[in-house]
Amino acid sequence: MYTMNALQTENLSKQYRSGAFKKYNIPALDKVSLEVGEGEIFGLLGPNGAGKTTFIKIMLSIVHATSGKAEIFGQSIKIRSVRELCGYLPENHRYPQFLHGLDTLLFFGRLNGLSESELRPRAQTLLETVGLVQWAKVKTKKYSKGMLQRLGLAQALMNNPKLLFLDEPTDGVDPVGRKEIRDLLIGLKSQGTTIFLNSHLLSEVELISDRVAILNKGKVIRTGTVAEITSQKLSYTIQLSSHLPLALEERFKSSLPAFSYTDNRLDISLNDKTDLNPVIDALRTAGIGIDGMTQQKASLEDYFIKLVQGENNK
Amino acid sequence: MRFWGMFRFTVLETVRKGTLIFYFGIATLTLLLLAFGITRSPNDPELITMFGIPFGGKAMGNLGLVEFLLYMLHHQSVQFILLLGIFGVSGLIPDMLEKGTIDLFLSKPLTRMELLLSRSLGATAGIGLNLFYFFIGVWAVFGLKLGVWHWAFLSSFIYVFFAFACFYSVVTVVGLITRSTGFTILISFCFLFISWGLDAREHGLYLLWNNIVYHRLLDALYYLTPQLNAMLENSSRVIIKTALFPGMLDFTIMPFLCSLGSAVLMYALSIWYFSRQDF
Repeated sequence: MYTMNALQTENLSKQYRSGAFKKYNIPALDKVSLEVGEGEIFGLLGPNGAGKTTFIKIMLSIVHATSGKAEIFGQSIKIRSVRELCGYLPENHRYPQFLHGLDTLLFFGRLNGLSESELRPRAQTLLETVGLVQWAKVKTKKYSKGMLQRLGLAQALMNNPKLLFLDEPTDGVDPVGRKEIRDLLIGLKSQGTTIFLNSHLLSEVELISDRVAILNKGKVIRTGTVAEITSQKLSYTIQLSSHLPLALEERFKSSLPAFSYTDNRLDISLNDKTDLNPVIDALRTAGIGIDGMTQQKASLEDYFIKLVQGENNK
Repeated sequence: MRFWGMFRFTVLETVRKGTLIFYFGIATLTLLLLAFGITRSPNDPELITMFGIPFGGKAMGNLGLVEFLLYMLHHQSVQFILLLGIFGVSGLIPDMLEKGTIDLFLSKPLTRMELLLSRSLGATAGIGLNLFYFFIGVWAVFGLKLGVWHWAFLSSFIYVFFAFACFYSVVTVVGLITRSTGFTILISFCFLFISWGLDAREHGLYLLWNNIVYHRLLDALYYLTPQLNAMLENSSRVIIKTALFPGMLDFTIMPFLCSLGSAVLMYALSIWYFSRQDF
């Protein structure tokens, strides 16, 4: 069955111009091609300055692309009505300090084209959803960073968007708040909302994203599901019941990609799952009992750091 | 809906900005001073006392005393009101362009033209509210205290408001290019002085260099930018029907028409520039 991509880019590039007479080109994105399916939670990862925010800004026409093609639900991003389908929480958002929380939502709802009859019930519901009902009539200048972040999320949801762009949505939010935001995003996904997430908190991206892309120096260097990305190498910890003979230790050292042994604990890495059987066979042949065995998965963070460092050293 | 949403928000912002509240305070104080300071003598209806100074008879030629007082008040206050107004709303465009604010606005389904125009017109309307408050206040004080309901004075509000609206097109361009409130205020104030200089160029700036190219350049600048001084002068002339002094010209609509053209040009330039920018 054909499903439309929520977001699609083809060779999207952006070069900022700087200096006197704008003669210096600063590349921000370099031929980025991405596809995000409808209803997905997609995480865009990358170190600072990788081009993550620029990518989102291009999608929302805040920044103009230098070249390439970008579409949202099959329509060019240059069409104004495309933005009716989108919600956006920017990284460093500023809200009018003379408005209170409820008025802020009403104002942004009006900018989204909501009718007066729709505005108030929608704003009230969202204030409840993000836990700011009691702060509805308090001016935003009195809000904490975490509260502003929640208000920002409510603002982004005012038009009930089909595609939600979030740039560091949990920035400044406490762990409980983060969990609530994660649950909210999972709830939105279950309702069919596509979520495009920029975050440097990789553990969070790992928890909720269906697919991720890693961006470095404006280029996509890896795309895939979190499982695909993190299970590149299989690592196991085997707890032995007795001491490992030296001969066997030497054999493992020479044959396995990674090996360490301390206090009857064996940490090994394998290229393939089938390579595990010869290791267990060798232990049994040597008469060594196995008390326990666990598979260690590399975290997204581990993989990300290795990948980006590797790319930077090229 | 979206356009009006931003327009409404900007008007609200101008009203709630501290400087405009300050302006409101000054206007109220001026009105109260006028209300207590102006009295007509119960014995001689031709005698008006203003802050203890008696004025009597015809002011000049056929010009009535109340008209003269209103003209002088108008003439002296509009430039000052304009300066305060600029100080109050010059920051609205640079504020909109601040990181974190502009991202939110541009992500909404508004065109950049709608966004800029709703913002600029909102700022102009905000100043308009304050101006109207002052004008209707003075008009009411003169009506209640002296029994003269001078409609021409009240109607001059429209011309002053129009002058401000044209002037704000310059503020918009400057705000967009500099993205700084301080610079916008500074350059806007400079433009006020330049406008005075250009208006009287034949008696001032022309004499600095007797060169035809230079003179035509000054002329071009005069006609390409809002003719602020000429508009304000003419808005004062709406109040009086006769010339106050020999050589004084009658009211003319030309500066308003030329300024409308230059304001359209300025806004077209602003929209073109704003549409090309990355934020």
